[in-house]
Amino acid sequence: MREETFSRNGSEDKITFLQIFWTYFKIGLFTLGGGFAMAAILRHELVLKRGWISDYEFMSEMSTATLIPGAVAVNMAYLQGRRLRGKRGALTASFGVILPSFLIILFIALFALPYFQNPRVKAFLKGCSLAIAGQIAYAAYIFGRRHLNNIQNMAICAAGLVLLFVFRVHPVLAVVSAGALGYFLCRRRDKRAEISTGEGGV
Amino acid sequence: MRLLLQLFKSFMIIGIGAYGGGLVTIPLIQHEIVGARGWLLFDEMASLLAIAQMTPGPIAVNAATFVGFRIAGLAGAAVATFGVVLPALSILFIGAPLLDRMKANRHAAIFREGLQVGVLSLLFYATWAYGSVAVGSLVQFFMAAGAFLTLVLTEGKVHPILVVLACGVLGLFLF
Repeated sequence: MREETFSRNGSEDKITFLQIFWTYFKIGLFTLGGGFAMAAILRHELVLKRGWISDYEFMSEMSTATLIPGAVAVNMAYLQGRRLRGKRGALTASFGVILPSFLIILFIALFALPYFQNPRVKAFLKGCSLAIAGQIAYAAYIFGRRHLNNIQNMAICAAGLVLLFVFRVHPVLAVVSAGALGYFLCRRRDKRAEISTGEGGV
Repeated sequence: MRLLLQLFKSFMIIGIGAYGGGLVTIPLIQHEIVGARGWLLFDEMASLLAIAQMTPGPIAVNAATFVGFRIAGLAGAAVATFGVVLPALSILFIGAPLLDRMKANRHAAIFREGLQVGVLSLLFYATWAYGSVAVGSLVQFFMAAGAFLTLVLTEGKVHPILVVLACGVLGLFLF
């Protein structure tokens, strides 16, 4: 079991669950702005400062974290916690990274929610929500620049849009359908590429 | 009890669909919470999301806690937060040893590329679905467009939260 190796080798200074919890709690508490902002701080804390994880392992876990759905920060906490102390370490790290968000939001909800009807607060939040409209458009722009570079992807994207706008399919279903269509289209392209270059399957 | 179960289910769906960044959760929350269930008005949701964006932690987790609390109190917050992280944690709990192999698998890579293009469709859709409701006047359109252009022209180097705060302050004067 690879997940046990770290604790066995490093038995002289075994990382405790409390250390794991506290490290991720701090990271959850002080990182603004999502998974990739958090990744930089995580790397600083785990790779450079504490030396718990090598840079290579960190990058590998980072890419695994983006492979599956969900918040990248939580996924990374799980994978790194797992490397440090197995499944219990994984759950400790995940819980640690989620807890501060949960507490801060509860605090705000308890004390600030009544003020949401205040016209000044409303005006401020209205402005914020417009910025978020701009952010969503920006995310679409970045993703579009990265992926709309061949005819297959354009077709998949168009099909996704038809599913969402015309057939009013549930967004999650539309994304998965696009994935399936992409698989179907690109696999054929791959086969043709293989035949022309004469390379076999891996 | 039924409300909590529905809340749990909705946020589990949001957790499954949240693929490729926190902003992707916004159309999902809008669809589940405002559209399908009618638990919140769009403006309420937009306010909660703005706060979720400005506070530490993943936007999906923050949004789940906040929306859950708003709909069903403390129990709602706990249930929604648990629901939104459960899909990812289950996949990791069961499949973590396989994921490394999956990364090298060509079929999985092709499927992922398709998923990402699907997410792109969703983002285009969200730009319209969220934007068309959020923007109610010409001034508001220019603010949203200004935020977009700021991010494009600086290549995203301006921290998104600064853009949100700036628009909030502008909102104080304009609305």
